[in-house]
Amino acid sequence: MSSVLERLSTAVIAGDAENSVKLVHRALDKGMDPKDILDNGLVPGMDEVGIRFRRGDMFVPEVLMSADTMSAGLDILRPLLAAAGTQLIGTVVLGTVKGDLHDIGKNLVGMMAEGAGFEVIDIGFNVPPERFIDAIKEHQPNIIGMSAMLTTTMRAMGHTIRAIEEAGLRDKVKIIVGGAPVDAEFATRITADGYGSNAPSAVELCKSLASAS
Amino acid sequence: MRANYRVHSGTRFQLLSNDQLQEMLDGVLHVLEYTGLEVYHEEARAILKEAGAWVDGLLVRIPASIVKDALQKAPRSFTIFARDGNPANDIHIGPGRAHFGPGPTPPNFTDIDTLERRPYVRNDAAIVAKVCDALPNIDFVESLGTISDVHPDLAASYEFATMFPNTSKPIVAWSFDKDDAEDIHRIAVAAAGGQEAFERRPSYVHYCEPLSPLVSTEEALNKLLFAARHRVPVIFTPCPLAGGTAPITPAGIIIQAAAESWMGLVIAQHVRPGTPFFMGGVLSIMDMKDMILAYGAPELSLMMAGITELAHFAGLPLWQTGGCTDSKTLDEQAAIEGSLSVFFSALTAGDLCHDVGYTESGLTGSIFQTVMMNEAIGYSRRITRGIEVNEDTLAVEVINHVGPNGHYLREEHTRRHYKKEFWYPKLMDRRNFEEWEVMGSSRMRDRVIAYTHDILASHQPAPIKPETEQVIEQVLVAAEERVRNNS
Repeated sequence: MSSVLERLSTAVIAGDAENSVKLVHRALDKGMDPKDILDNGLVPGMDEVGIRFRRGDMFVPEVLMSADTMSAGLDILRPLLAAAGTQLIGTVVLGTVKGDLHDIGKNLVGMMAEGAGFEVIDIGFNVPPERFIDAIKEHQPNIIGMSAMLTTTMRAMGHTIRAIEEAGLRDKVKIIVGGAPVDAEFATRITADGYGSNAPSAVELCKSLASAS
Repeated sequence: MRANYRVHSGTRFQLLSNDQLQEMLDGVLHVLEYTGLEVYHEEARAILKEAGAWVDGLLVRIPASIVKDALQKAPRSFTIFARDGNPANDIHIGPGRAHFGPGPTPPNFTDIDTLERRPYVRNDAAIVAKVCDALPNIDFVESLGTISDVHPDLAASYEFATMFPNTSKPIVAWSFDKDDAEDIHRIAVAAAGGQEAFERRPSYVHYCEPLSPLVSTEEALNKLLFAARHRVPVIFTPCPLAGGTAPITPAGIIIQAAAESWMGLVIAQHVRPGTPFFMGGVLSIMDMKDMILAYGAPELSLMMAGITELAHFAGLPLWQTGGCTDSKTLDEQAAIEGSLSVFFSALTAGDLCHDVGYTESGLTGSIFQTVMMNEAIGYSRRITRGIEVNEDTLAVEVINHVGPNGHYLREEHTRRHYKKEFWYPKLMDRRNFEEWEVMGSSRMRDRVIAYTHDILASHQPAPIKPETEQVIEQVLVAAEERVRNNS
């Protein structure tokens, strides 16, 4: 079946958003189930993008174009999926911690997580613990992702986790951390649930944490 | 007429024409005047407004005439002095002069005994300073790491306090904010014999880093204002990533970085006209496969050459970059990337070339890389010294004297020149195979490691005065007290 779904996967890999929107509409017109379009059209395309990127056959700008293509298709499906009561993969709240204005790494994770099908809420940079707490209450994410670029500001990650604990919300979310000076040992020390050494590994981590929760 | 005959004896190159440089300079002025930067510092915004800039909330735009005025006030040539008065260790900033040294703040260090990567600790600052003090081609000192085994807010204070007694070469100091900038300054002023004595003979440079794209952070400006007010030579250097936090084209990233740096220039020159100012920054690519800031990329050297020419065209010294690598270890990649970037940097005569000793894309400092690059810098300097042409060096008379079938070994001309015309490597092996084998068939990395340990076992840096030692003690006690009260 050189079906609509196969062509949708191909459009995601090619980063052709215009075509993917057309194909999602066509699939819906044919009476296909939105969940089927997502699982067998958009997601396999993005999975292949992940494989090609790890193999070194795709570059970041191409991956982001694919992610945008995936998002464009998902935007059409989201209300239909919600109406049918279908759970999406999950919601991620991302922010660069207090005192730190660096946000290129966090933005990359956000774009790639969206491409993997997550609802991404980006609460910006220089984010104090209270705003992370407010975002948990407001958006009820599965995952909180914190970024820091400096050895001084990475401490704010530990402070933020403690504040989330004190607010009684720690068991509601998984917390992941990343950024140039951060490593797995530091993540363990501040009792984060995981550490991503780069954007794709952060998204893989989100996927495994979301499916486990 | 032989006037100025020797001026062009050095080897240099020019990447950009004066017309291209003028276009770039106009581009920088345009960005500063029409786009502007966000300035996260209330006092700095007030200073800029007073200087004639337009301030709207955080956004500051500076008319070109104000920027040109600041460029006029900043010196192109000045001296940074050795703390012990040893003129051999002074750094004379000026056209045609390239200087080299390590870089600041990697979280990790290559342990000199186990050769393994581990968190940077206080004693590493002593090791780096002592080894750099002994290396003939390293001119200034930075720590190659952020100290992890003291209170995190005091890493910079302990770093300077630890390096200062271990080298008399000028230190490029780094701090988080103004409290630790003050700690550092107190130590340098104590050694100089007072603030005025320091101003006459500044012995260190302070490093400040604004953010790309187009942001001046509060901490960077706190440090810049402190430096300008105490006449500490200052570096204002962003670290933009081509394709990530800056345009992907070399010309575009150069313009953005220059605008980010000149925001600091305008503030510093308004606060204290004539403050010695180094334009930055570190320009490289965001690798589109591995998403790192590549320190071994040819684009780094190319972009750095471009921004060096723009700085010199505008009348400023530049904070250059080289001797660094993306390799995780002391290997062939580290040698290739480090050596080529050192050589290219030397050709540009960028004024202070830092990051000599960065490995793993700036995440691990390695004094071994610095020691290996000391050789590459020596090699490069021999080339940039060029070919001197005059009656004596043309040697027509000597050729006539020796004639066909003679030899030059006994010539007075040879004896007079052999030491300065040839560069004698310290670690490169030129022995014949049999001798090399008898001496243990060592590889370059073995010799680098052994030489590093030799220096640490034998080198004695010039001591500091007992009074300075006391001040260092007092500064650290007061700093500990400060963080106790803050927490």
